[in-house]
Amino acid sequence: MVVVVLPSLLAREAGGRKQIEVDAETVGEALRSLPVADLLFDERGELRRLVNVYVDGTDVRDSGGVGTTLSGGETLLVLQAVAGG
Amino acid sequence: MGVKVLVGTRKGLFFLTSDDARRDWHVEGPALTGWEIMHAAQDPRDGALYACSSSFVYSGTVHKSTDGGETWERSEQIGLPEESGLTLEKLWHIRPGHPDRPNELWLGGTPAALFRSQDSGETWEPVEGILEHPTRERWQPGAGGLCCHTIQLDPSDPDRLVVAISAAGAFRTDDGGETWHPKNKDVAADFYPDDPYPEVGQCVHKLLVHPQKPERYWQQNHCGVYRSDDRGDNWERLDKNGLPSDFGFPIMIHPGDPDTALVIPEEGAVNRVTVGGKLGVYRTRDAGATWALASDGLPEEAWSVILREASASDSLDPAGFYFGTQGGKVFVSPTEGDDWLCAASDLPPVLSVEVAQSG
Repeated sequence: MVVVVLPSLLAREAGGRKQIEVDAETVGEALRSLPVADLLFDERGELRRLVNVYVDGTDVRDSGGVGTTLSGGETLLVLQAVAGG
Repeated sequence: MGVKVLVGTRKGLFFLTSDDARRDWHVEGPALTGWEIMHAAQDPRDGALYACSSSFVYSGTVHKSTDGGETWERSEQIGLPEESGLTLEKLWHIRPGHPDRPNELWLGGTPAALFRSQDSGETWEPVEGILEHPTRERWQPGAGGLCCHTIQLDPSDPDRLVVAISAAGAFRTDDGGETWHPKNKDVAADFYPDDPYPEVGQCVHKLLVHPQKPERYWQQNHCGVYRSDDRGDNWERLDKNGLPSDFGFPIMIHPGDPDTALVIPEEGAVNRVTVGGKLGVYRTRDAGATWALASDGLPEEAWSVILREASASDSLDPAGFYFGTQGGKVFVSPTEGDDWLCAASDLPPVLSVEVAQSG
């Protein structure tokens, strides 16, 4: 089991749930099991450019991307990049 | 019954309500906070609300509400097929379908993408006739990207629609969306000096089909204002008949009078603000033969920006006209343009205005 923490917009789109527990062996598997997977990934299955994911404080782009393996008990923090206006 | 107006902004969807007099307005919202509402519309067939919601992080989706905007559901993922090599960038416009096709809706987006839903907005399929159009390689994006921003039905024929894409032009289907024919004859594209009247490539800013006279089309283009009386087969240029500029984005038409239309000219492509530092609405009552200023009640000192989706009309008598500005104001004329009032101010920048219910 891992815990995925969602930013406010995604939490609203997920029915008001700010934290969702999922069973997953990789970051990608965890994110794709969420009810907001369509917002996190484009139609090719690529994580959108301005979506950042941290596993216990480490940016997955600096580890193994969405293929980063999970052993259980981690917290995945989903953040939108600081951009726009 | 009164009027309810959907105002899409950069920061969510607002609702403006009034009685039939349309002089006192109440602002509610915003709904869908965190989303840019490029366009929102009510389905006249069942009353459902639909919103084209966009985000610079999460791309675009369609939200649907069946309880007047209290709660919203999201469509399944909207995307383009892998073989196209394209991915969806943004959604621009949603259009509930013909009354004879109760579950059908149409959706326009960037890059030059048209989608159809046949399950009341739950899922969307790209329309191949647009995606694989034989002239597509000659289409060029305008400042808003290669956006499919106009979808108009023909009330007399459920198989006929017209769409407009900037800068590709207008395209009409007569077979329910299988094949699409360019409808840009005599429409200028001055930005192609070597071929200023091409088959495609025109920068349509907004195109409307008259609901009671569906052979009559109106368009505000990057290069002029035009009217067609044969469903876009031929166009007559009208901006030389009294408008201060050929450039602008919105166009409003009178639902009961095919000869009445209103435009809001801007300085030009380089300086996209209202002409001369005034908020000037111009009205024709003779099908574009003449235009006259119809701006009583509007600010006399204003450098306003009104986007292509940010105007509408209602079906009351007298007809009402509506537009919203990038400065966050919504103006209403309950008198067919004879006078105007400010219905809301200090909203976020207005992206779209649509009448949800009237009469």
